[in-house]
Amino acid sequence: MEEKLQLSEREQRKILFRLLSYTKTHKKMISIAFVLLLLTTIGDIVLPYLVKIFIDNYLTPGKLEFQPLLILGSIYMGIQIVKAVLMFFQFVKFQEIALYIIQQLRIDVFSKVQSLGLKYFDKTPAGSIVSRVTNDTEAIKDMFVTVIATFIQSGFLLTGIFIAMFILNIKLALFCVIIIPILLFVMNLYRKLSSRFYLDMRERLSQLNAKLAESLSGMAIIQVFRQEKRLRHEFGDINEQHYKAGMKNIKIDGLLLRPAIDLIYIFALIIVLSYFGITSFQHSVEIGVIYAFINYLDRFFEPVNQMMMRLSLYQQAIVAGSRVFRLLDEEELAPAQKDEKTIAIQQGKIEFKDLSFSYDGKRDVLKNISFTANPGETVALVGHTGSGKSSIINLMMRFYEFERGEILIDGESIRNFTKPELREKMGLVLQDPFLFYGTVKDNIRLHNESLTDEQVKEAAKFVQAHTFIDRLEDGFDHKVVERGATFSSGQRQLIAFARTIAANPKILVLDEATANIDTETEEAIQTALAKMRKGRTTIAIAHRLSTIQDADLILVLHQGEIVERGTHQELLALGGLYHKMFLLQNGAVERFEDVVNG
Amino acid sequence: MKVFLELGWFFKQEKKAYISGVFLLLLVAMLQLVPPKVIGIIADHIHEGTITKAMLVEWVIVLIGVAIAMYVLRYYWRIMIFGSSVKLSKILRNRLYQHFTNMSPAFYQKSRVGDLMAHATNDLSAIQQTAGAGVLTLVDSLSTGGFVIIAMAFTISWKLTLICLIPMPFMAMLTSWFGSMLHKSFYKAQEAFSSLNDKTQESITGIKVIKTFGQEQEDIEDFRKQSEDVVQKNIVVAKIDSLYDPTISIIVGISFFLSIAFGAKFVLNGDLSIGELISFTTYLGLLIWPMLAFGWLFNIVERGRASYDRVAALLREKVEITDHEKALDTVPYGDIQYQIAEFTYPGDAQPLLKDISVSLHAGETLGIVGKTGSGKTTLLKLLIREFEGYQGEIRFGGQKLQDYKLEKLREAIGYVPQDHFLFSASVAENIAFTDPTATIEEIERAAKLANIHDDILQFTDGYQTIVGERGVSLSGGQKQRISIARALLMNPEVLVLDDSLSAVDAKTEEAILSSLRQNREGKTTIITSHRLSAIQHASLIIVLENGQVIERGTHEDLMELDGWYKEMYLHQQLEELVEHGGH
Repeated sequence: MEEKLQLSEREQRKILFRLLSYTKTHKKMISIAFVLLLLTTIGDIVLPYLVKIFIDNYLTPGKLEFQPLLILGSIYMGIQIVKAVLMFFQFVKFQEIALYIIQQLRIDVFSKVQSLGLKYFDKTPAGSIVSRVTNDTEAIKDMFVTVIATFIQSGFLLTGIFIAMFILNIKLALFCVIIIPILLFVMNLYRKLSSRFYLDMRERLSQLNAKLAESLSGMAIIQVFRQEKRLRHEFGDINEQHYKAGMKNIKIDGLLLRPAIDLIYIFALIIVLSYFGITSFQHSVEIGVIYAFINYLDRFFEPVNQMMMRLSLYQQAIVAGSRVFRLLDEEELAPAQKDEKTIAIQQGKIEFKDLSFSYDGKRDVLKNISFTANPGETVALVGHTGSGKSSIINLMMRFYEFERGEILIDGESIRNFTKPELREKMGLVLQDPFLFYGTVKDNIRLHNESLTDEQVKEAAKFVQAHTFIDRLEDGFDHKVVERGATFSSGQRQLIAFARTIAANPKILVLDEATANIDTETEEAIQTALAKMRKGRTTIAIAHRLSTIQDADLILVLHQGEIVERGTHQELLALGGLYHKMFLLQNGAVERFEDVVNG
Repeated sequence: MKVFLELGWFFKQEKKAYISGVFLLLLVAMLQLVPPKVIGIIADHIHEGTITKAMLVEWVIVLIGVAIAMYVLRYYWRIMIFGSSVKLSKILRNRLYQHFTNMSPAFYQKSRVGDLMAHATNDLSAIQQTAGAGVLTLVDSLSTGGFVIIAMAFTISWKLTLICLIPMPFMAMLTSWFGSMLHKSFYKAQEAFSSLNDKTQESITGIKVIKTFGQEQEDIEDFRKQSEDVVQKNIVVAKIDSLYDPTISIIVGISFFLSIAFGAKFVLNGDLSIGELISFTTYLGLLIWPMLAFGWLFNIVERGRASYDRVAALLREKVEITDHEKALDTVPYGDIQYQIAEFTYPGDAQPLLKDISVSLHAGETLGIVGKTGSGKTTLLKLLIREFEGYQGEIRFGGQKLQDYKLEKLREAIGYVPQDHFLFSASVAENIAFTDPTATIEEIERAAKLANIHDDILQFTDGYQTIVGERGVSLSGGQKQRISIARALLMNPEVLVLDDSLSAVDAKTEEAILSSLRQNREGKTTIITSHRLSAIQHASLIIVLENGQVIERGTHEDLMELDGWYKEMYLHQQLEELVEHGGH
């Protein structure tokens, strides 16, 4: 659920400062940008002043001498060009800084996501996490690129213009200062009103889109229950609300944006003209000063307009920022390892001691699980969906933290091994092997650059994946599309096997694929599995009982408990749950009736 | 500009708003010319020392009047023109929605929800831009530009006007060139951004693999590289974007320089006063916007046209399933007979149903079983006329389905689909979907029949709990039972359950089925199911395979047949045992 966000002024300020704190690492670039900005601003201020000199010293007295005018003209055009060039670099610099800041923010968020525990991923939809990493940071980028840059540039220019005005005429400049509180008042009023109305419109728009998206996906239901008219009406209502909110925005914009700023401009103009008019009653006035003042006024109001138009972006960025920071402050971290000791996994003996576990703290999905897998042995887990097989693997892989009971490897608590040690010595093959965008080779090697191409091929050969890989276009360099959609699930499984073998783990954790696999690949998978298990302690979830008949120990789980344990033959002889599962899978219909009725 | 013609119907409809809006715009464009002129006049009088108090007061009053008039006029043209454009998007959005509600499932099969959404959002906003900002820039740039040039040429000096206009076309040319470069590099930046998005998406869905192999740092490194690519592509955009203002500043600077240099010469010749020269440079400042706006206008209009074409094409899509003129305006009831020789889905090569001949008396229950893809759901979809175009006929109460008005036919059928879709609304509203005026007693009765009442009472807000995509998440079984309650509320002639009990346990299934048997005396029920226990008591069971009926009869008949049905039945019994731990 996306909550409505109405942030208090204080929270907004806090978020802004936290965002601004990202500028610290770019001090050097920022100083360069500020120097450039200072120079261009000086250029902006000097140009009208040059014209003033021309008007007052040359034009009004009517003495047009070629030499000084040529110099003046060249200076004018020279400054103009230098200013334009500096301006270009200054713009680019500011944008670069903004982009690097956002990149840093993105990397921070992404790293944070990587450090979170799977519990967080269970409760948060993937789409919303992605949106934090990319879209929200993009909204913040817009603020840095446009809002902050515009504010700083405009601020510099405004200060410069006032300085120039004070140099030209202190009294008049003082008169002009009264514009500032008026402008600030209008800006503040607009910010307050528009943030409210703007949020309202965004809200309506998201309602509108939600309604539309929902109607489109539920159209079959709407039609079969003949509710088209009612829904059209409901949609029309929301649409009308959105229209009204849109009109309100247009009105606020019309009242307080450009028309208002232009109004203030003309009043400033009146002040300037009246001042000169009145002073000219006593003594003569230099025309050039009038020119310069009016020119400065013209330049003064454009940045103000720019700033006002960007205010809504600011609002969005703050909201996005609050969401990003909430993720950065998330405390649902991955289970911690005690990193001080560096013990290695030597034998690969695994013990579960009286382990109980619950995801939500209410319902136990595992109850008092105890078993031992000796080095090199295979322990198979079987049971119906929801019996707790996957939870055992989730705990072994340290995806979730457990509190009751203990998991021991070579007699040491699993918590005492370092993370790299566990990851290196324990290999997991997931039920739905996830392939990444890239090549087959990339997918076997993952990011482990120390593996040579030879080793990659070796691994593929070991699990017999090379036969189908060689047949692909470009072989090991064959492109893997998103999630490996072009491969069959069996082929994906084989690539995942190769991936695990390339890492050469001491302990193997297998979650067998349930999906239908063609017989040819099936055979390859079975041979590969047998080879992989040799010399490795293996914990395997088996959906097809045929694959685990030679396991050293089979655990039958039901509702989080081990209800039967033993070898294949022992369990068949027992005639219990395992026996029934076995019959079911072997399709021995003629014997069904006896069991069902017996 | 063709899009303005295509939008003609709307401009005609809103002609009052547009005509007055454009008129106000023109007034503003003229009023804009006053302040620079006043500046020039006052400056001249100050210069010549001829200024008087009365004159100053007079001009100040003129300026105040102009300022207020412009403020008011500017406010109102915005309301007229921008207001109309918002209205346009409202109208088009309603039209699209209405159109969407008329389209049959065949249409939804070939189009993706995301695309349809894009039409209703992005395209409409581009069209809105055209009708608002597009009209504004067109009128404003032409009028402001025109008036300013006229004022400069006729009231000050046409020679000077020509001279200072020389650099202006270069500005229009350069900015439009930058525009096309910007477009290209922006596209690349967007691509880099979307691949960063994909990368993030992939890392998050593949988080288990990354954690398993301890590859967090490497993956972050990979992310850093990709985000660096985004930065680099965006810097290219920034560089082009940063060309605009300096270019404009240089060209305007040249124009200024020319006007002051030549203006000074005219002043010395006596052709021009200093005040007029100041006015002239102020006018020049007013010209920048129309020049820029013109380049911008093409951009807006281009996007608007493409968007309008897409929306118009969508609105032209034909509605496929319609009523014929003499369709009966009554709700059908009675026997149902399927006589279908063949049915093929549009776009498919193989027929999905062949030689189906089934008849069902009013009040009986039909059970349909078979493997996935055998055609069970399709049989139901033909009954509710989601698809047509089969050879043969389906009769309901002796008449062909097509002889009833679609609305009336569907009034007779309570359909519970396979994918239980709930709306983001309260439980009560979802159950009362067909009849928002239903009383709470009626709603509770339906919920009790569907065996969901007790569950609902457990929810935090009971019947007022919000469910659906943006509400609390329910289990599959709960959703199914709410869908059943929704269909039961209308107490339909025919209840259709399309594998709607798959997610409830055997005990609940039995409870629902027996309450249906008791409460739907004399009414017809059609059930498809994977689980045979759901149809065990049906008056007639048919087994479908590859779109054909391979077995038919009652449960007892079929068990004796020793075929697919019996094997499946035993298999499921055993499965049931295993699920319960073998007991």
